[in-house]
Amino acid sequence: MDSVGNLLDRPRQYYNIDGVGELGLGFMGLAVALLQWLQATTPKDAIWHQMYLFIPYWSCMCLVIHYGSKAIKKHVTYPRTGFVEYSKWETRWRPAIVGAVVAIPVTAGLAIALRSHWNLSAPRSFLGLLLAASYIYGFARTVRWKWAVAAILTIGSIAIALLPTDVLSAVARDASLPREISVSVAATLILTFFLYGVTCSMSGGISFWLYLRHTQAPSQEVE
Amino acid sequence: MNPQLRNIADLDRVIHEPGRLMIVALLFAVERSDFLYLLHETGMNKGTLSSHLSKLEEAGYVEIEKTYRGKVPQTLLRLTSAGRKAFEQYRRKLKEAL
Repeated sequence: MDSVGNLLDRPRQYYNIDGVGELGLGFMGLAVALLQWLQATTPKDAIWHQMYLFIPYWSCMCLVIHYGSKAIKKHVTYPRTGFVEYSKWETRWRPAIVGAVVAIPVTAGLAIALRSHWNLSAPRSFLGLLLAASYIYGFARTVRWKWAVAAILTIGSIAIALLPTDVLSAVARDASLPREISVSVAATLILTFFLYGVTCSMSGGISFWLYLRHTQAPSQEVE
Repeated sequence: MNPQLRNIADLDRVIHEPGRLMIVALLFAVERSDFLYLLHETGMNKGTLSSHLSKLEEAGYVEIEKTYRGKVPQTLLRLTSAGRKAFEQYRRKLKEAL
């Protein structure tokens, strides 16, 4: 019965057979880190702090990820190892429900913490560990060498949380931040997203290279 | 007859064959896929896969649609609702029997 369970899980694992899932997440991590860094280093009235920039920036990032993944799947993956159409539950409802279940309490908790002026320096490594755990659940379970990537993410997150304040203040400036957010919290978020972005991009890139190396499109019609 | 033995005797023989079980399990988890995907995932050869798919189509468990991806012919496969029901029932009976 376990083998049947594994087979039922295969199509979900197939999505990242070419590393596209990780490349998308890596791109998102880098884009978020870049925007946060721009917000943390430029004056408060700079364009990077404006909502009218935030929405198109976020939309462009999502469009690049969506259409970029689609293009790779269409021109590389489907001709080599086959086409899969996932159910709407897998592609829309499940991610939406999981996202809401995670985002609502996290956002509410963060809002309460900021309003109550709680010291967020201690739990600031939590985000990195959460991202590492989601990486393990999403990718590392399927391919053995990706446990090394998960280890890099975990150790990196802890190392970032242990960085001294003078190192963190080189990443973010106090004058650019809202008064509720300290330099150490802002810098930790930037470095965590940067670490996640770089690591996922590299891991996805290696997967993509290995995929191209070990597969080839059938020379003729398959059936 | 012992109810546990009855469960074993009642197992759907169309699905119980290992090759077809692989196909049905893979298709159960997706909306649809193409022939190449099943070929890649199951490791069967084209002839064997085609023959299993024909048997599943005869049983009304799989729907086969011939189409084109650009100029390349593509065979799309989907588990029918009867196929989904049969697979769920097969899993339940096998679990009970074990």
